[in-house]
Amino acid sequence: MAEPRDIASKLADNQKQASISEFFEKNKHFLGFDSLHRSLITAVKEAVDNALDACEEARILPDIRVEIRKVDVKRDVLELEVEDNGPGIPRDNVAKVFGQLLFGSRFHAIRQSRGQQGIGITGVVMYSQLTTGRPTRVRSKIAAETTAVEMLLGLDTKANKAVKSDEQRVPWVLEDGTEKLSGLKVTCRMKAKYQRGKQSVWQYLRMTSIVNPHASITFVDPDGEEEHWPRVTERLPRKVSSIKPHPHGIELGQLHRMAMSSRAANISIFLKTEFSGVPTRAIKEMCEVAGLVDNNGRPLSLKPAKMDPDQIRALAETFQGMRGYLRPFRLDHRGTRIYVADARRPGLPGQPISENKHGDLVTALTNAGLDELPSIVASRTELHWEESLHRLVAHVSNAHGEGPWNAKDADLISKHIRKEWEPGVVFEPVRLLKPPVDCLSPIEEMLIKKGLSKTIDSRFVATLTRVPAVSQGNPFQIEVGLIFGEGMPADSPVEVLRFANRVPLMYQQGGCMLTKAIESVDWRQYGLDQSGGSGVPKGPAAILVHLASTNVQFTSEAKEAVADNEEVHDEARKAMLELGRGLRKHLEKRKKLEKTKEKFELITDILPAIAEKSAAILDRPVPSLAGSITKIMNAVIVEESTTWNKEAKRTEVRLTLGNYTAKSRAFTMLATWPEREGAVMVENESGGTSELTGVWAWKLDTLKPGETATVTYALDGLEKGDWTETDVFYRGAGDVIGATKMDDELLKELRRQEEVLADDGEEEDMDEEPSDLDEAEDMDEEASDFDEAEELDEEPSDLDEDEPQQDDVRDLDSAPTAPRPSGGGSLFDYDMGGHA
Amino acid sequence: MTRQHTPQETKTALHEVVVEMYDRIVKGEPPTMTLPVRTKNNIAFNERLGVYKYGKSTSVRDATSLQSAKQLLRALHVVEFIEGMIDTGKSSTLREMYYISEGWGHGKFGSQNESNNLAEDLEVVTKCLREDFKLRPEEDGARIIGNITLQERNRRGEWMRINARDDVGDSGYGVPYNVEEEKIELLEHDIDFIMAVETGGMFDRLIENGFDEAYRCALVHLKGQPARSTRRIMKRMSEEWDLPVVVFADGDPWSFRIHASIAYGAIKTAHISEYLATPTATYLGITADDIEAYDLPSDELSKKDIEALQAELTDPRFADGWWQEQIRMMLELGKKAEQQSLAKYGLDFVTDTYLPEKLSELGLA
Repeated sequence: MAEPRDIASKLADNQKQASISEFFEKNKHFLGFDSLHRSLITAVKEAVDNALDACEEARILPDIRVEIRKVDVKRDVLELEVEDNGPGIPRDNVAKVFGQLLFGSRFHAIRQSRGQQGIGITGVVMYSQLTTGRPTRVRSKIAAETTAVEMLLGLDTKANKAVKSDEQRVPWVLEDGTEKLSGLKVTCRMKAKYQRGKQSVWQYLRMTSIVNPHASITFVDPDGEEEHWPRVTERLPRKVSSIKPHPHGIELGQLHRMAMSSRAANISIFLKTEFSGVPTRAIKEMCEVAGLVDNNGRPLSLKPAKMDPDQIRALAETFQGMRGYLRPFRLDHRGTRIYVADARRPGLPGQPISENKHGDLVTALTNAGLDELPSIVASRTELHWEESLHRLVAHVSNAHGEGPWNAKDADLISKHIRKEWEPGVVFEPVRLLKPPVDCLSPIEEMLIKKGLSKTIDSRFVATLTRVPAVSQGNPFQIEVGLIFGEGMPADSPVEVLRFANRVPLMYQQGGCMLTKAIESVDWRQYGLDQSGGSGVPKGPAAILVHLASTNVQFTSEAKEAVADNEEVHDEARKAMLELGRGLRKHLEKRKKLEKTKEKFELITDILPAIAEKSAAILDRPVPSLAGSITKIMNAVIVEESTTWNKEAKRTEVRLTLGNYTAKSRAFTMLATWPEREGAVMVENESGGTSELTGVWAWKLDTLKPGETATVTYALDGLEKGDWTETDVFYRGAGDVIGATKMDDELLKELRRQEEVLADDGEEEDMDEEPSDLDEAEDMDEEASDFDEAEELDEEPSDLDEDEPQQDDVRDLDSAPTAPRPSGGGSLFDYDMGGHA
Repeated sequence: MTRQHTPQETKTALHEVVVEMYDRIVKGEPPTMTLPVRTKNNIAFNERLGVYKYGKSTSVRDATSLQSAKQLLRALHVVEFIEGMIDTGKSSTLREMYYISEGWGHGKFGSQNESNNLAEDLEVVTKCLREDFKLRPEEDGARIIGNITLQERNRRGEWMRINARDDVGDSGYGVPYNVEEEKIELLEHDIDFIMAVETGGMFDRLIENGFDEAYRCALVHLKGQPARSTRRIMKRMSEEWDLPVVVFADGDPWSFRIHASIAYGAIKTAHISEYLATPTATYLGITADDIEAYDLPSDELSKKDIEALQAELTDPRFADGWWQEQIRMMLELGKKAEQQSLAKYGLDFVTDTYLPEKLSELGLA
């Protein structure tokens, strides 16, 4: 499995520059240029991803325009043009960004970024050049300059650098006559084919627009047809900080590279400054476990680059939990382990004495005596402790005497040691902290909702962003969305929209772990068809899964299917289950409402007509309907309507409670509203009180039979589609159709949710905390690509909090994983996963 | 005995339906309409009339669900519509009424079937006839060929004398939808019996072979499940001229039902059985044992056929021993045969051999 970093090292290690184009040629299948059709998608993808990333880093709301033009239909030559309004690239960097393979910050920083795939825009330049012999035209303008720079770029594959030509300065005037502030436009010609369908540029852009609701994307296809996906939020994705790699996610090769390029004065500083999740305590421990200590047990004062291969391997094994501490314990009378305080030593996990040591052990024991036993055993196993050796000696002395033993005794003793002897030692890897999770940028529920709603017209949308979790040192976060309703085919499999770090995954759906998570849910109980209760469900629905992670593991270099990972799968599955429950609730509610609607039609339209018509035929007076109505309805009914008022730009809510029973009834009506999302309740003439955050309550006057009460209010501060359904609760006797009874249990549940959400708020505050700036230095020196462009724009300081580096020690306190009901446990209990 | 009602009687009967609804509303209850259950479980043999009639089970349609409330409203619109026709001396087809309902707002019919059923509901409840309601069926009546003479009042109100052998072409005399005395008078005949024939192919075969003259009978083409007017005119001929009726149909479960509707009354129209059914009608064939006896080309019974036969076993109209035997035999054989399968032995076999043999069993030939 090759990750970007591996490709990087492959390339970096490969000193024969002449072979770069050969490398491209050989590997174009996993660089995404294997077919004419796929190459076009890949080219669009590289350009659009770059544009989105650059805009995000420069905090600009992206306007992206993609146009594909026919050039030579017979020979499958197309022209691709991608224009954005990003920060642009300073003149001196343009050639580097477009002309040099692997020039970019993303290979150095660990954070969630789109551009983890492929070799970036350079691949597009190279592909164009290889298939049409033409250079790529780039126009770039940065805000600090008044004109744009335009040039043609080709590649000198021998020197691994760009060849510039035709460079000129041009004013960049927009259609409306104004000058463009900043941006980038890339135009290239390539052999490619445009296709429509599930795997197409169109679908890629549509999916991109779903997970980038802050982007405005326009697409003009080769036939000149234009499609526009508008921006639905002004909110840019949260600015993510890069984090340093967590030891659990590091393999030998990477550690080697990091050590060689580190400028840290010694190993302790190396561990402290270049990794996350390593508290001061763990630095000492790791050095001890890896044998990187001097005679006094203090960490070696050795420059990381000076470590020999064995030392690096030992450190890598320590990272992986293959080396750790052996801790002695004894069992109390209940069989519980009592650990001996402060008694531990570095060691390896494993069997006390492996089977194949049997012969060796027998040989050593034959003709030996009790005195020698401890040293024989100690020299052949790590897993022993003083106390346990005493126990062994006692047992052997009882069973076989003091020796010297014959071969038969030796054989029995050896068997006892291997099978019965309890060495009284456990293995423990060095405990680390979880990596910080603010390197992730989830799209967030509300925005996924908007993104989905803009491309799919439907009735029910539910979205869910799970709490970040960690797998093998990599923070990850799962987000899911489900959209259900008319307008989608009911008898075909639901549309599965997969994303990794906001990048659409369009191929290999079946082999993707995200799909498998969907398939692992029995959707039949939630109202979707699914033959046999497994597989992709059928129904008028689309399911979205987004995996945000600092290190998305794919099944292959093509990076189209996420590889199996139990923790990620579980998170995704849990999220699906929750969506399913929401869907079921929605469907049940809809059914109930339909029935209620029918009854309303009955009493408001049909019954009066029956009364009038029968009276007319019989020539008698029209009778009063009140009695019949209460008999027919025999229920208290709430009607809820939540609508968007276009003129006032407000969400208007109307709740009507009707007593269609024969008795007087008194109720308190409660309704949910998006208080936390920043909505403001206005025009609430019925008054009422806040029950808890996001739930308002109105105590209503007693309703006589046949009477109704109406509550109306409006919500300010929301956009269209933000709030489309109000949940209604009630307090009072009996049933109310269209509302849920508010009992203690429900109230408790709501309060619990409130607390959880409140924690979220605190956690977000933490993100804003200034962090240790010293450590940012190393990272920034290597930062380049679009990062650099940004720095140039904001010249004075490259040490501002735009690149917050979490202080590892403070992690302990600021606790990025604030207490949540689902989290549990203190940070010191950070689970070591499969390493233990 | 059901008979036609005067316009005033019809109106009064319809008003009772409306009064039931109105009174319930006045009492503060959901309006209702009470009507007999119209399934085979609620038909019973009426000794006095010799036909099957609805039993005592009734169901109440009340306005607590949207669908039944709409049914009540539709019934009111239909009542109003019928009263209007009675007052203005018009009539309409059921289909026309269905289209007219477009203007009835919430009382509009969802399908033609709904309007047909509702007309039948009203017949059942009021004990009036469709003709009283001035509603005509869509289907036309059957054809008759044979030496009978009747007179029919034409559109100009004049009586026309027609002999169904000499005054008609090969298609025979077409039976109008109204065959009551105001429209048709049976004058005279020179036949010994009436033979009802299920399929057009067989009807034409018998005519071509001159069967009606050779065997002194009137042939009536049923066109599948016979229309009301077909059954009514057969009953009138049988009663007024005292002639036996024999039924010649395919040998399958559906033919048995055709016979049952002629002889004992149909489940859907059990409220007017005594007016439509001819209890003396006899089933001539094709019987289950004919399939064996004549070694007729046959088809396997389909799943639906078997279900139909099994349902007939518990149908009170087929409770008699002969029918039970025929039904069981057909189930055992697992086969059915068409009338025209007799052509296996030549075109004349049916008239030269089969029918004479079957009729002689009944003493008619």
